[in-house]
Amino acid sequence: MVSFVTRRDFTRGGVALGIAATALPRPAISANDPIRIGWLAALTGPSSTPAIGFDRGVRYAVQQINAAGGVKGRMIELVTRDTQGDPTKAVNATQEMISRQGVHAIWGPTNSGESLAVTPIMARFKMPNMHPCVVDSLIDAVKYPNAFRLAPSNGQWDDAVRSYCLNIVKAKKVAVIGDTTGYGVSAVNASVAAFRKDGADVVYQAQIDATQPDVMPDMLRMKNGGAEAIVVWSVSAAMEARLFNARDTLHWDVPFVGHPAMGTGDIKGLVSKPANWDKVYIIGYRSCSFDASGKLPDHTQAFVDSVKGKIELADTSLWWVVSGVDVINLVAKAVAETGSTASPDIIGYWNTVKDYPGLFGDFTFTPQQHNGYPTSEVVMSKANSAHMGAFELAPGYAS
Amino acid sequence: MLPNIIAAGLAIGAVYALIGVTYNVMFSASRVMSFTAGQLGMAGGVLGALFITRLGVPAIIGFPLALGGCALLGVVTEIVAVRPVLSSLEKHLYVLSTLAFALMIQQFTAIEWSTEPQPFPRLFGLGNGGVADEKFWLPVIACAVSVGGLEFLYRHTLVGRAFLAIAEDNFAARALGLPERNLRMASFALAGAIGGLAGFSAGELLLAFFANGALLNFYGFVPVALGGLGNNRGAVIGGLGLGLFQQAANFIVGGVFASVAVFAVFIIVLLAAPQGLFGVPPARRV
Repeated sequence: MVSFVTRRDFTRGGVALGIAATALPRPAISANDPIRIGWLAALTGPSSTPAIGFDRGVRYAVQQINAAGGVKGRMIELVTRDTQGDPTKAVNATQEMISRQGVHAIWGPTNSGESLAVTPIMARFKMPNMHPCVVDSLIDAVKYPNAFRLAPSNGQWDDAVRSYCLNIVKAKKVAVIGDTTGYGVSAVNASVAAFRKDGADVVYQAQIDATQPDVMPDMLRMKNGGAEAIVVWSVSAAMEARLFNARDTLHWDVPFVGHPAMGTGDIKGLVSKPANWDKVYIIGYRSCSFDASGKLPDHTQAFVDSVKGKIELADTSLWWVVSGVDVINLVAKAVAETGSTASPDIIGYWNTVKDYPGLFGDFTFTPQQHNGYPTSEVVMSKANSAHMGAFELAPGYAS
Repeated sequence: MLPNIIAAGLAIGAVYALIGVTYNVMFSASRVMSFTAGQLGMAGGVLGALFITRLGVPAIIGFPLALGGCALLGVVTEIVAVRPVLSSLEKHLYVLSTLAFALMIQQFTAIEWSTEPQPFPRLFGLGNGGVADEKFWLPVIACAVSVGGLEFLYRHTLVGRAFLAIAEDNFAARALGLPERNLRMASFALAGAIGGLAGFSAGELLLAFFANGALLNFYGFVPVALGGLGNNRGAVIGGLGLGLFQQAANFIVGGVFASVAVFAVFIIVLLAAPQGLFGVPPARRV
């Protein structure tokens, strides 16, 4: 006798199996699966310095959590891709991380050029993403609800620089200059607009080609304009050193205030004499600054003591290292609190973070505000005071 | 303001002029516009800083070592990027081959040296950053010595006359028994040394920076076009004029607009005199 399975029988059977499957306990595999964190790092190439610093903190934090048994038994697995600072490589790495590696969250990229390229891709896949890039437009809770900023935005940097010039230096006339990169142009324009809004007199505004061998024409214009502070938005150490040397030639003691690149070690070899690097104040962070008595904040000092001999701090910036630690802890915390690595759960948790006590700062995110770093933590530091990756507070701040 | 325009303008103009002469020396020997000229200038600064600052060699030894390194680079340019395309000059393959080799030099320097500008040592310690500083007058002296030396070489030595012979008509020169290939290699070595001298003498001004090559390639070509291809005196006048004009424009309209002003004038001059200010229209064979 031949029995036939009709299409109706097959459908009924399928429905019955489906119902039965929902009643079965879920396999335990997902509970033991590693938490996979994508790390888009420009570890080689011309813009690799920050990522190398971040990487030290990231790896340290992963090692610490895994050594303590992971997050609810789940180990953290880093999926690192070297983007070499190239937006195309960053895009390819992002797609690979999401489609093939199945990462649960992504940290990075570490420069705005790459981030501008990959942020829309991550948004399309609703991939939880944290990055430290400063370009303001990278964070938009409506357009990119998955993207969170762990460091200050350029607007926050600008606020801190302007506040220092107007309230501490007491400058009424300022000059605002930058290099000819897209970043330099946009930062100068934003800075000038904000200074004017606050009633300051911007006596000189210019873009200087970073390869221009002689900056004396610009310095003379600024001096003749009566500038009482020069605000610099550039990552070019050579241009900045030339400005400092030209100031010395003019016997002018105007302060330079602005971009952290004015504090890079390269400047030391490029200035004609060490004194030319005095009265240069760069953006820094209270959590990673020495006070007048030469002390770091207690929690930062405790971290520095705990990593002595484990993480090299002398050739990097402390804030890169500690924010690398913070981001891994924030992912781990999201998984620990929600018990899930699903994107909506991680993003949902981050949206509720309030005054999270990180090493770099106390982070607060809301569904509407994904710039989590407090502006009050952004301060000015003495550019020539680097020691163990941290700087001394610029004059004028209370300890 | 005027002393600064003159000092800085002449200094940077002398560097452009020397790079223009480098283009010319290579062109005369091979009829090839080798776009490695700016990279030779960059290499002069980088090798100078490498030998003197990083390796601690005394400047008096580091200087000939840097120039020797650049001369060697010139010879390698001839072997790798020029000789293989000489048989098909009319296809202008040398544009690709020399540009590709220039990019290789630049990238190799970026990887092995640094992507950030590095300090160049103070050679004599004269001046305090003002108009009398050595960083302004060293390139001018280097330019004067190079051009004077080239004039002497070409007019008063047998080797120099042989250079001129292959520049004039290499077929006839070979028919007379001149070792054309060896003379061409010697010309490229000489060009390498001149380019290296440009970069070394301007090291305090331009720093030891891998990206200087592209800048010098670009601005060093302008005096060649202004002065007429193969005309060293034209290149020197064009280079110094370019430097002075650029520095004056820096003061008057600002750095970014100065580049626009320079190239606006450059285009106007070439429209008015396509053969350059000091060149002669090419003779047409009939």
